[in-house]
Amino acid sequence: MNSLKFDTANLICGLLLIATGLFFAYQSFELELGTAFRMGPGYFPFILACALILFGAIILIQSMRVDGGPIGALALRGMVFILPAPIFFGLTVRGLGFVPSIFVTALIASFASGRMKPLTALVLSAALTVFSVAVFSYGLGLPFRRFGPWLGY
Amino acid sequence: MDLFNNLALGFATATSLENLFFCLIGVLLGTLIGVLPGIGATATIAMLLPITFQLEPVSSLIMLAGIYYGAQYGGSTTAILINMPGESSSAVTAIDGYQMARKGRAGAALAIAAIGSFFAGTVSTFLVAIFAPPLTQIALQFGAAEYFSLMVVGLVSSIALAHGSIVKALAMVALGLLLGLVGTDIYTGTPRFTLGIREYADGLNFVAVAVGVFGIAEILRNLENEKTRSVLMAKVSELMPSREDFKAMVGPVLRGTAIGSILGILPGGGAILAAFASYTVEKKVSKHPEEFGHGAVAGVAGPESANNAGAQTSFIPLLTLGIPANPVMALMIGAMIIQGIVPGPNVATEQPALFWGIIASMWIGNLMLVILNLPLIGLWVKLLTIPYYVLFPIIMAFCSIGVYSVNSNVYDLYAVAFFGLIGYALLKLRCEPAPLLLGFVLGPLLEENLRRAMILSRGDPATFVTRPISAALLFLAALVLVIVFLPSVKKKREVVFQEED
Amino acid sequence: MKILNALIGATALAALSLFSASANAQGYPERQITMIVPFSAGGPTDTVARLVAESMSKDLGKQIVVENVGGAGGTLGAARVANAEADGYTVLLHHIGMATSASLYRKLPYDTLNAFDYVGLVTDVPMTLLARKDMPATDLKGLIEYAKANSDKVTVANAGIGAASHLCGMLFMSSIKTSLVTVPYKGTGPAMTDLLGGQVDIMCDQTTNTTKQIQGGTVKAYAVTSPARLGVLKDIPTVKEAGLPDMQVGIWHGLYTPKGTPKDAIDKLNKALKSALKNPNVTARFAELGTEPSSDSDATPAALKAKLEGEIARWKPVINAAGQYAD
Repeated sequence: MNSLKFDTANLICGLLLIATGLFFAYQSFELELGTAFRMGPGYFPFILACALILFGAIILIQSMRVDGGPIGALALRGMVFILPAPIFFGLTVRGLGFVPSIFVTALIASFASGRMKPLTALVLSAALTVFSVAVFSYGLGLPFRRFGPWLGY
Repeated sequence: MDLFNNLALGFATATSLENLFFCLIGVLLGTLIGVLPGIGATATIAMLLPITFQLEPVSSLIMLAGIYYGAQYGGSTTAILINMPGESSSAVTAIDGYQMARKGRAGAALAIAAIGSFFAGTVSTFLVAIFAPPLTQIALQFGAAEYFSLMVVGLVSSIALAHGSIVKALAMVALGLLLGLVGTDIYTGTPRFTLGIREYADGLNFVAVAVGVFGIAEILRNLENEKTRSVLMAKVSELMPSREDFKAMVGPVLRGTAIGSILGILPGGGAILAAFASYTVEKKVSKHPEEFGHGAVAGVAGPESANNAGAQTSFIPLLTLGIPANPVMALMIGAMIIQGIVPGPNVATEQPALFWGIIASMWIGNLMLVILNLPLIGLWVKLLTIPYYVLFPIIMAFCSIGVYSVNSNVYDLYAVAFFGLIGYALLKLRCEPAPLLLGFVLGPLLEENLRRAMILSRGDPATFVTRPISAALLFLAALVLVIVFLPSVKKKREVVFQEED
Repeated sequence: MKILNALIGATALAALSLFSASANAQGYPERQITMIVPFSAGGPTDTVARLVAESMSKDLGKQIVVENVGGAGGTLGAARVANAEADGYTVLLHHIGMATSASLYRKLPYDTLNAFDYVGLVTDVPMTLLARKDMPATDLKGLIEYAKANSDKVTVANAGIGAASHLCGMLFMSSIKTSLVTVPYKGTGPAMTDLLGGQVDIMCDQTTNTTKQIQGGTVKAYAVTSPARLGVLKDIPTVKEAGLPDMQVGIWHGLYTPKGTPKDAIDKLNKALKSALKNPNVTARFAELGTEPSSDSDATPAALKAKLEGEIARWKPVINAAGQYAD
């Protein structure tokens, strides 16, 4: 393998695309394919999934020829804190209510950066909560419950 | 002069103190909400619609229209500043606009977008006034076969959106198309790729996908190597566009306006394609196609003009046929009905003050937007000096609110996180999100019209070439393909490649 | 994620049981009421909801906020209300889809007949049977003959599975005992465009969407599905007059609460509904849409319950015959 020059990014990309294509192809296959005249729900996605597999394969082959450079560092800490933020909001906005939910959401996201100090994060989240409640809940009258049933409202 | 009298009536209506006030409120609210990250025109209107129900019909529609283009404007601002398009059309602006901002030219990019939009808005407002009825007839000529061919042109052109590998761009389009098909198949009612989750029965939310693959991916990229690398932007060099910028934007603005005005008339997808089509055209006619994707002035000016022109002319089918061209127009119809006006072919004759008042207010609203926004550019650019680690909790909070407010669907929020991860992975693998987003928007339309055309033609695929408009569009698509793969063009692209590597 | 969900759910339940006692409707209503509309803002059902909600708010003395929970043919919004606390502060305004989804969906997250309490019928929006402008037939009889003679060519547009136009189209085909070519669209807008452009032949939709087109002469109207002719469309015969009495149908709207809502709350909601339906502002807007508010005898829990049961029974065979389901 050492003699071959690999492009890691394209290698992973090609494999991922092929896997995604296979997933969609398998799912479409479970749907009715139909005929060209009366296309079933699986017809069009099946063709697309095949195209995706094909493109993935081409990229895979290309990865053996050119080296496009390393992938670089991953924002692991970012992923751990940024991605759960909207999920937390979704899980709690109806139960806890808008105010506590948006506060904690902002707080979670704050910790994605190593530069953020805990106190700054608290102040920022609080300010953000006040602003959002004033604008969205009072100003625009969005039908959010400010405090939800989990807190006894 | 009928037109003159009508316009006079319209301006008399629109410039009444009350209506001017509501127009101003509309554009202000629209801009302010739209400029919050992750909240585009659809989310803004969905939030603000109930407020307008208490007003007089004319005032409320003028205000709603103001919110609409104000929000679009605000959406472009966030697209340029932090790579967060709130609407499909501003996804194109994000490509080069954000690159300009990273080079310290955020002010120039915003000004170019503002001026291009205003010009396009002015021209297309008059087009609406003069040609509304005859233009409607064009829209009626478009059946399923024509729409399918139009979408093919759009997809073929999308290759030009990419500034890296063509194969990867194609793969992204295919992936986008597949993601666009998630949801209930309208022909049989079968749920597809929903993993059994009923909340995805109506498909994935566009805002959730766009915010994820563009915005969140960008945040994560900025969080890499935080300690060793400065994430601050380059210093802001100048606020206003330079003389060269003005020179470079004339052509794109004119072409963008033309493209947008024409495509905006077509209900269902026309306006979506306008910005993408304009970008393609600019990249093809440019003497420096290698600049695209790295902060080309034409890549901001063209699509922004097209997008705004399309936004104006999408009122044509609404006002003359009572048919909404996009989801926002559907909301407008709802607002009209609540006000006791049922939109249809007779609105122009039965309610001339309303009809022409709205048209006149479009121009006034656009004027207000420019006056409002040119001085605000300094303020927006200042926002960039806020440390990034303070900015992104704010972005995450507003994204969450914006996405949730559209349909009160918490699964849309889970989709934001999922597509954030996907977007970041794609970025790491050097795949571009713009073609994916185009595919996502076009996927359902493409399939729907393909299948409908086959049903209507009783299974005869010749329908695509025997219908003249459809045939012409397919010919155009073939032409674009030939140009893309012509040896000379290909060589030029390879030069770009090497530069990238 | 499942564990997290369960944890949060358990906490929620504990909190609920602690506080639900204090939330009981003593002087109902004590705070704002949420009216769930299971369709997106700006649609015909949303319009009805907002008009009624505004008037009911005044009567109840507390604001009724309309929340749009669209998706999956209205079943997401209905499910939300079915699972909401039965305290009278969450109500549902749903249309005929409440009855048809019981057959269109083979798996529903709630039991249509047992998950709700009834407040009353709100309104019944009639439908109109339309064809493209250059359709040769001059009356309904002619249209039926034409459809029967060209059954493999005549196309019927609808706005998607479960939409009013889909139901009405199915009913038309089952009434004339002929199966035509169905062409589904995503929403009324594109379907109407294609009818105006002559790309499809027939469509049947609510007056809310069609009145202006008919008056403008851009489509041909053959019949209205209401029992009597409509004030805004005097020249169009009823389906009964035109010889197709089976086609009598309307998009009726009802107001529901979760099962187990205190009687006091339902009575007050019902009283507010009845007075809203007599509010001249509401009736005037309804008239412009080609619909009439329900009478006092229809705007009752019993009438809504009977309507829902009757309509579930009526649509089941029609939907099963078409063999199309939404899941």
